[in-house]
Amino acid sequence: MTSVNAIGRPVARADLVLRRVGSEWVLYDAARERAHVLNLTAAVIWTYCDGEHERASIAEAIAREAPGIDAHNIRGDVDDVLRRFADEGLLR
Amino acid sequence: MAARALQAMYHAAPTTTAPPTLRYGLHRSRAGSYVAASPERPLLMDASLTEAWAYLEWRATEDLLNGPGGVDVFLHAAGAEVAQRLVLIVGDSGAGKSTLVAHLMVRGHRMLGDDLVRFAPQNCRFSAVGRSMKLDVNTLKDMPLIASQCASAAVGTLLAAGCYYVSPAAIRRDWQAQPRKPWAVVLLDAGARDGPAGIARSSDGEAGVYVTQKVLSRERGVEVGAVRTEVVSRLLESLAEVAAYRATGHDPATIAEALEKEALR
Repeated sequence: MTSVNAIGRPVARADLVLRRVGSEWVLYDAARERAHVLNLTAAVIWTYCDGEHERASIAEAIAREAPGIDAHNIRGDVDDVLRRFADEGLLR
Repeated sequence: MAARALQAMYHAAPTTTAPPTLRYGLHRSRAGSYVAASPERPLLMDASLTEAWAYLEWRATEDLLNGPGGVDVFLHAAGAEVAQRLVLIVGDSGAGKSTLVAHLMVRGHRMLGDDLVRFAPQNCRFSAVGRSMKLDVNTLKDMPLIASQCASAAVGTLLAAGCYYVSPAAIRRDWQAQPRKPWAVVLLDAGARDGPAGIARSSDGEAGVYVTQKVLSRERGVEVGAVRTEVVSRLLESLAEVAAYRATGHDPATIAEALEKEALR
């Protein structure tokens, strides 16, 4: 399992395709012929994997867009999702 | 008798606007048996009429799936238009796709196909494939309309070994669903169908992945990386507004009724 501290500013692989399917999102990895189903939170986190945002700033950005959510409380969720992205080889 | 069967077979192919081809042939030998010819394959010799017909249907489908086929791709799925909403029905072979589509047709809805559906990446639309429905004899017990047509050898129906080939055009003249994006995907799982017959909401994302796999696992024409990614991208794009359902129970008539009610909501 990837250590979340090693992720830094996550960068999404550019060759992946993210598309909404109904109420969920699908991330298609053509190179590995795999598709991943994301919920809305994970899809939003994916869009912040641009090399510009650190883990903490991703949590803060999501909190800003979702009133009532405290950035500190979702740090763990962001870390879990990023770790999963890294483990699945979805980040550069 | 043979002439009558041949007439039925001729009409078993649904009406289509595509230009006719002469790629396949069916001939009667002097000995009374039949010879089936398909492109780049050895002749099927000394066959009965039903064997020859089943062989040609099978070969034509395989050729369609494996051929270049232009820009369109084909999905191993069934589909119907219910209350002007397109429903894709996916599931493994033997899960009951054909039976469910037949029940929907009997209830007055149009169909896309019972085993094969066309997808056009350019406009993200699914459309019908002109091909007979293949129905197991046992499934016709609670579909008296189709059963009576088959029993009387109505035009467009043919009894083969253990199954009927039924042209959708034999059930209704305007059988083809209009090309459009799907409203719903229904997953038919051969097992895990606990509970009373009906439909239950399922994961939209998982249904999207399932549909994608059903294209890529069969479609040899989209193996090149960039093209393949583009096809998947367009396929997923077509499913943006889709709602996923999972069939429960084992009574296809009740599942069809539940699907119809949901589409009419």
